[in-house]
Amino acid sequence: MAWLHTWCGLLAGWILFSVFLTGTASYYRQEISAWMRPELHRGVAQAEAAERAVSYLQQVGPAARTWLIELPDARNRAIRVGWSNRDGPGGFSLATLDAEAGTPAAVRKTSGGDLFYYFHFDLLVLPFRLGRWLVSLCAMAMLVAIISGVITHRRIFVDFFTFRPRKGGQRAWLDGHNAVAVLALPYHLMITYTGLVTFALMLLPWGVDLAYRGDRSAFQSELFGFVQPGPATGETATLAPIVPMLEQATRHWGGGLPGRITVTNPNNASARVMVARGETDRVAITRQTVLFEGDSGHLLSARDKEGPAEQTWGVMYGLHLARFASPALRVLFFLSGLAGTTMVATGLVLWVVKRRVRAPGWGVRIAGVLNVATIAGLPCAMLALLWANRLLPVDLPQRDVWEFRSYFGVWSFGLLCAVLCPSRLAWRFLFGLAALLSAGLPVLNALTTNVHLGVTLRQGDWALAGVDLTVAALAPAFALLAWRAGRSPAAQRLRRLSVADAA
Amino acid sequence: MAVLALVLAYAGFLALALAMDRHAAEMGQARRVPPGRRQVLRIAGSIVLALSLWASIAAWGAPFGILGWLGALTAGAIVLVLVLAVRPHLALPLAIPLLVCGGLAAALFG
Repeated sequence: MAWLHTWCGLLAGWILFSVFLTGTASYYRQEISAWMRPELHRGVAQAEAAERAVSYLQQVGPAARTWLIELPDARNRAIRVGWSNRDGPGGFSLATLDAEAGTPAAVRKTSGGDLFYYFHFDLLVLPFRLGRWLVSLCAMAMLVAIISGVITHRRIFVDFFTFRPRKGGQRAWLDGHNAVAVLALPYHLMITYTGLVTFALMLLPWGVDLAYRGDRSAFQSELFGFVQPGPATGETATLAPIVPMLEQATRHWGGGLPGRITVTNPNNASARVMVARGETDRVAITRQTVLFEGDSGHLLSARDKEGPAEQTWGVMYGLHLARFASPALRVLFFLSGLAGTTMVATGLVLWVVKRRVRAPGWGVRIAGVLNVATIAGLPCAMLALLWANRLLPVDLPQRDVWEFRSYFGVWSFGLLCAVLCPSRLAWRFLFGLAALLSAGLPVLNALTTNVHLGVTLRQGDWALAGVDLTVAALAPAFALLAWRAGRSPAAQRLRRLSVADAA
Repeated sequence: MAVLALVLAYAGFLALALAMDRHAAEMGQARRVPPGRRQVLRIAGSIVLALSLWASIAAWGAPFGILGWLGALTAGAIVLVLVLAVRPHLALPLAIPLLVCGGLAAALFG
């Protein structure tokens, strides 16, 4: 079974590493998005935000068919609104409101943390369906690799705490690979399995096809139900205040926070206000909604119950996204994600280290190049995105596209380095670059914005300060990697001998 | 409580590692762990890990607490493995200030 583990791991490895690393960063998607939009002020209470959103929508779309309001929460500081003059999805005008002023925020055009988030299941460069299939296939290979890895790891309990970096070479890489794999095993299984479940309907659509006789849109609308606005009557009516409705919804959910408001036929006698529950205070992501009559504010109905299938899916999806996680729990998820990233990286390096001596050849050379380009190149690309966010002029046309290009541009540059330079030099150069980029980011932030550490720490704005601090904390880790990767084999052998002598 | 859960995970795994010949020797204990002591350390380690579960549930509530416990186990074990790799002699003495910090954090912040 060892061959199954090796080849599943290797062939899917480079994509899995990218998925793991960008996915781990996505635990802080909202914080990264806020960091990349330094113009946004800190969020306000939900009630105030809802009132500001409604009064803005009254100005821009008093006769709209549908209004959408995405309320801010503890981690998301923007109010997002949309309004549409026709039925059904599409046709929405969207705006991001400044929480303090209640008017469209003058925000730089940026993809924010969404780039990492979408990349981790779409890969972004391919047609999105192909990207998703590729990531899903790799996730399946991952599941096979995890299970076959546990089976082939004969000394799982004896070597539970074993990591001998001083032994160097293959031994050290295998120890490291085993340690991060075994110690975070519950997380690896959970994240891989729930990731696959997220795409279950794409991968295995036949059950739904059978039950709904091939009509997938009927299934979708039953599951994610979009309220179709009823016909507007001739009568106009004032919309009841929104805040009491939110309070009533919160009471209905036993303290659960609302996340999104949908208003149909506002300012009409047939107006309906649907409040959907947010996802920050529960594990399962399922649709819980409360419907109000618009002009009176009376509660009409509520959708709470979900079938066992929806509940199961909701728990899996919720576990994968971890939107419920409080700051401390989120740190643990983030660290486990880093352990997963390290597991894939050490596995990839191990493959090359094992064969470089025993059977050198083109295959090993190519795998080595891809290792450098992925493991050392991707962190540089991710940091380059954050640098580009601060360096590109705010009024540059297609600014978000240029950010995207910086990310893939630097990654391609990493690949070029890996192809042209000898392996050791390429590792050292790219990790060194990552160390410089991460150490320099808080400085760049201080030079280009007024939400740098000097301000955010004083204000206790931990979301923004956390991005600067985490990135800065990565700098010594990258520097250490650059230093270790760059040592010549002779020096390593000498060191190992002296360690053996001392022992 | 979150900090306490993490520290207890470290301490529990430390006891389990002390029950293993190789790691006990690394930490400066006798080369062979006597069988009686091995049993005691294993039971103690398991109890401390269970206490970590209790602290996690106290910190985050039942459903999130179990997730948090798994995370704390991972983090505690990885810290122990790194300490054992770099400065094995410090693994045991380090437990004392860690437990004091965890206890203080739990007492002060709940």
